[in-house]
Amino acid sequence: MDQFENLTVETPAERSAGELAPPAPQEQAAETVRNEHREPTYWQDQCKRIKKYRKLLWFLLPAALFTLVFSYLPMLGVLFAFKGPEFNLTKGDVLWNLSHGTWTFTNFLDIFVDKSFYRAVGNTLLINVIRLFICFPLSIFIAVQLSELKNQGLAKTILIIISIPNFLSWAIVIGIWAGLLNPDIGLLGRVTGHIMAKDAWFKPLVVFFSAWKGAGWGCILFYSAIMAIDKSYYESATLEGANRLQKMWYLTIPSIMPTIALMLVLNISGMMAAGFEQVYTMMQINAGVLEESQIILDTYLYKISVVNRTNIPFATALGVFNGIIALTLMLVGNKITSKTMHRGLW
Amino acid sequence: MKNPFQKNPNKIRESKLDIGLSVLNIVLLFAMVLIVVLPLLNYFSLAFNDGNFNINVVFFPVRPTFAAFKYVLAGDGAADFWRAFGNSVAITLIVTVVSNLVEAMAAYPLSKRDCPFRGGILMYFIITMLFSAGIVPIYLVMYMFKLLDTIWSVILISISNVTHLLYFKTFFEGIPTDIEEAARLDGAGDLQLFFLIVVPMSLPIIGSCCFFTIVGTWNSYGSALLFISESAQGKLAQPLAYYIYLMLQNKTLDKNNSWLMANGQNVEAAAMVASIIPILLLYPYVVKYIKSGLQIGSVKG
Repeated sequence: MDQFENLTVETPAERSAGELAPPAPQEQAAETVRNEHREPTYWQDQCKRIKKYRKLLWFLLPAALFTLVFSYLPMLGVLFAFKGPEFNLTKGDVLWNLSHGTWTFTNFLDIFVDKSFYRAVGNTLLINVIRLFICFPLSIFIAVQLSELKNQGLAKTILIIISIPNFLSWAIVIGIWAGLLNPDIGLLGRVTGHIMAKDAWFKPLVVFFSAWKGAGWGCILFYSAIMAIDKSYYESATLEGANRLQKMWYLTIPSIMPTIALMLVLNISGMMAAGFEQVYTMMQINAGVLEESQIILDTYLYKISVVNRTNIPFATALGVFNGIIALTLMLVGNKITSKTMHRGLW
Repeated sequence: MKNPFQKNPNKIRESKLDIGLSVLNIVLLFAMVLIVVLPLLNYFSLAFNDGNFNINVVFFPVRPTFAAFKYVLAGDGAADFWRAFGNSVAITLIVTVVSNLVEAMAAYPLSKRDCPFRGGILMYFIITMLFSAGIVPIYLVMYMFKLLDTIWSVILISISNVTHLLYFKTFFEGIPTDIEEAARLDGAGDLQLFFLIVVPMSLPIIGSCCFFTIVGTWNSYGSALLFISESAQGKLAQPLAYYIYLMLQNKTLDKNNSWLMANGQNVEAAAMVASIIPILLLYPYVVKYIKSGLQIGSVKG
């Protein structure tokens, strides 16, 4: 019966179910006649659709429940950011702590006088900006180089090989490079010395490791965008006398500009996260040396909220603050893409 | 996919610049392949090498032996390794099946243009992608449910995946409605329609999403770092990537075992190689995916 429902204009039973306040009985007959020719109101329309989809809506339930418990319930945890410093899980459980103790706003103010916070933000932004200037163009560069190959079968084989590191975990990637850079037995380390423990090398190595792991896989998107360019453009460019460099610069790059812009915005939206697993593993491998100067927001948050656990409300406040900055960046990014490319990030 | 320059009918001869560029192009690409492959060869050949001769290894084992593998897979290290391996298999299987099933089911009603409250429900999911309250609240939720130090904390936190929901939704929107109408006339219910018509028609996207879930879950240990401590109880719930992470810090090394002290790095490399094998089994899929035109990269929500 469901598929016919949108053919009929409206039945009285549905209409009365859909109205917020049913009309008085004496007016009802006249209403019915008039309603036959009127557009259904918002609520009437929704009720009709709910009726049509009443069984299908159950499909949403499992996902909605998981989201509720593991995404929205933690959002209530924002409340902990307003608790006083006497919050202590040894005294009572989570709910007990929520209902006892004082409320305060100073946790958020404390963020701004925290020196480690500024250092963490600075390091996070610095790492991500270097990534943006090195890893991101590198992926585009590899994609253009691959598309320039005469033998596209070879190009795909190269693509398959250079995307291997993307399928290794960070522990393995860092383990491999720690082995190579080991000053005693490593192939490279015997020449370079123990650079993984040197402060000045930390950020360059973070960027290098992300490039090594991600550049090959990251270029797939650009490569497929280049492959989608109409080949006749290249033919006419050749007839006009354009050389390869000119075709690359004036044809390939402008054609994949939408993809580049989209990925750029996505990258900028993720500016506050510099890769927790990677940076934390690199820090731990040095067994705590140089930690302060290498701290990024994610590792700092992890340290104060899971490792130290001395001031849980402050750690919550810092997490919430971080979340708000990330949200702002995402919204700005979405605004930019929908303004310039008429399509949002989601 | 042929290169456009190759079938150019006008046969304009390549200039010297163009030839130079092609040479540079090939040289650069091969340099990149070497940068990727040589470190892998160097490190993984340690897995097959005798620990006393590690310093001589360049790209191949110099004293081939399976001692390190024997230690990891069947010797003293086997209990820890296989427990971590089992945990990872369980986590990856449950997350892949449940997450993709749940998200695909949710995406199905949302793919209908006239689904009631469609915008609102979508917003409900998308908000979780945009804002998170940080790690303390989620830690406290797991603490409340007494899920810390169990694999369930790692599993449950990974189920919700809004990106995949959006992928599924976009794909389902492209399925012609006539097919569903016809099946409905034949008396198919919603469940039958979904599992017998929609899912089989969406196998490409479901396959891709499952693949990404498998790789992502197998390799991630960020949530394990968060929820699973190094205590005796936490040890039982370590996933494999986390176990290797601990290995890197020599936390699993027994200082009294002199063979192990000499072969520590070889044992590490052997454990890594063993942990990659399940992902290697999936690699033909990657190859097929890259060869067949790389469609998923352009699918968007």
